[in-house]
Amino acid sequence: MSALPLLLDDVLLRPDIWRGDRLAGLDAESVSSSFAQLDAELPGAGWPRGALVELLADARGMGEVSMLLPALQQCTADALPVAIVAPPGMAHAPAWAAHFPLKQVLVVEAPRDDIAWSVELLLASGALGAVLAWLPAKIGNKSLRRLQLAAEGSRSLAFMFRPLSCMQTASPAPLRLSLRGHQQGLQVDIFKRRGPPCEKTLLLQVARPLPWSRVRSDQPPMRRPQLEVVESKPRQRVV
Amino acid sequence: MSTLWLALRFYRFPLEAFDAAEPPAVAAAQHLVVCANAQAEALGVEAGMRLSGALGLAPGLNVHERQPLREAEALDRLACWAGNFSPHVSLAAPDELLLEIGGCLRLFGGLKVLCGLIRDGAVAQGFSTYMALAPTPRAAQWLARAGREVCCKDAQAGRKNLQDLPVNVIGLSYAEEQTLASLGARRLKDLFALPASGLARRFGIGLPQQLAQALGEAPDLRREFVFPACFVQKLELPAKVEQAAMLLFAARRLLASLSGWLSARAAGVAECDLVLLHEDGIADTHLVLAFASPTRELERMERVLRERLDRLALSAAVTDLRLEAATPVHLPGSTLGLFAQSSAQSLDPVIERLRARLGKQAVHAMQIKEDHRPECATLAVERADVQAVQAGLPRPFWLLPKPQALQERGGALHYGGVLQRVAGPERIESGWWDQGESCAEGVALGNVQRDYYVAVSRRGEWLWIFRDTQGWWLQGVFA
Repeated sequence: MSALPLLLDDVLLRPDIWRGDRLAGLDAESVSSSFAQLDAELPGAGWPRGALVELLADARGMGEVSMLLPALQQCTADALPVAIVAPPGMAHAPAWAAHFPLKQVLVVEAPRDDIAWSVELLLASGALGAVLAWLPAKIGNKSLRRLQLAAEGSRSLAFMFRPLSCMQTASPAPLRLSLRGHQQGLQVDIFKRRGPPCEKTLLLQVARPLPWSRVRSDQPPMRRPQLEVVESKPRQRVV
Repeated sequence: MSTLWLALRFYRFPLEAFDAAEPPAVAAAQHLVVCANAQAEALGVEAGMRLSGALGLAPGLNVHERQPLREAEALDRLACWAGNFSPHVSLAAPDELLLEIGGCLRLFGGLKVLCGLIRDGAVAQGFSTYMALAPTPRAAQWLARAGREVCCKDAQAGRKNLQDLPVNVIGLSYAEEQTLASLGARRLKDLFALPASGLARRFGIGLPQQLAQALGEAPDLRREFVFPACFVQKLELPAKVEQAAMLLFAARRLLASLSGWLSARAAGVAECDLVLLHEDGIADTHLVLAFASPTRELERMERVLRERLDRLALSAAVTDLRLEAATPVHLPGSTLGLFAQSSAQSLDPVIERLRARLGKQAVHAMQIKEDHRPECATLAVERADVQAVQAGLPRPFWLLPKPQALQERGGALHYGGVLQRVAGPERIESGWWDQGESCAEGVALGNVQRDYYVAVSRRGEWLWIFRDTQGWWLQGVFA
């Protein structure tokens, strides 16, 4: 059998194949998050375009949107609008106006059953710079896969907010982060990425109405929560 | 620029003018089959057959009595649709359209592209067509009648292609065709060989003149189709329709007609009204198709239509459809770039599809209203109407639908642990003018006297809270 002279290095150039100890390259471009410590841990050194980014958070107001502001501002600077789908509160125009031209912000108040459909439509349109969506807790894997496919066909940034409880379930999103509030910054754990597992817990000094130093912190930095490993017991055979 | 005529012959028109697509079917007049669709033909049914014979071959046959009036209306609609491709359209009743496309080839990017568009458009509306191109309308018409799909760019090629056509393409009476047959003239070339004076004596001046027109030797003036001044088109459904999705096929024909009518007038519509008429005594259903910006693109209109029909539950059976476009606005075509430029797609088609499903209010842009009260500071507006503004103090991205009361224990505020106030107070005192007045949302907010603070919870949540005479409240989150 004559084997093709296929070099390992050639194989490794493919964006969907990477060595276990390195971060994968991206076939699409990325947008810098403008946090150096976060960029260092993200494949492609920034938020990937054309891929779902899952942000898992339970509380509101920890800076989960502020963390994305630099990337979103880059979109609106390129005259690409940003869509907010099913926001967790009433969008307050004066706050958004401080960061974006309001013309570039589109609010879509979809009922729970139509959120996935709306996001898919927005991603597939290719007319948006970024889509921020608050997905319902019980979204099926099939819907997520459809969203990932829609994202792959576009150049949009796709940030999907989901509750922390979704950490245990698998998802087709190539990048998944969990966000927790802390009195010294926003605590970010990357628990799925194309590359080696991320051991570090990042504490991002996201933009707040006041400097972080104004908050008196009485807590130690939180420890990274360990993923529970649920072992399936071998089923006993009934004789 | 030479003139080039495109003849479109809808060869199953008596049947396809019925706005339904159920197989197999025939159109019949006086117990004779006039026209059969492909499924019926596969069973052996042919035009000219007796209806009883056809029913014997295909017992499940749907028989439509031929309706010349409906055919005339359908041809008018198709003429409107043809406005998409050329401003010069003329009708050749009962089942042909003539388009002068010599001047439009450049606009559409060549003959092939244009013919493809026309054929796709006809197929999408459910019409079977023969298309032929020739320098004279008469020649194009005859070629299409014979089912020869050829393109003759000059008179010479036209003559060559006409030679072999049978004489029945001229549309003479049965007796005249018999006379011609007895003369031994079966093809057009036989007629071209005969002297014109002799033909004129036997058949009248019409026949030699038509032959000369086909060859481009005599003028052939066609009456141009006049696009109606306002667009209101009615379409009678062949049968009562109970399910909304079944209306799509017929409504699409109306929309295709509207889009052509709009292009002929260089106009667009921001909304049009599809009226579903029910049987006597039941009020009409109005289905307003709204677009995010004026448009005449058929694809956009169809998507919105589909979205609306998907969600529609019919209260009663529909007998007729009517499409009205009351307010067309001027919409010039766009200029193409000299070089291939990739431009970002427009957001408007997405917005109108979202709106068709979620409702108009659900999709909007924001605008700051000059009001200090946070609840009143945001206005939902159209994207096009947003004006640039200066932002002021830091404000939270989200407001709670209603302020939420905060617990106070031992002099400290609690929200998942003790709250720490990091900024404030900021006094907002405003709104005495609309105390107790009613407004769109019910009762106006009225006068507020609040001291706002920024607070941070033990879980790292940055909150916007205020104190008024009734206590402490949480109103916003700095997401």
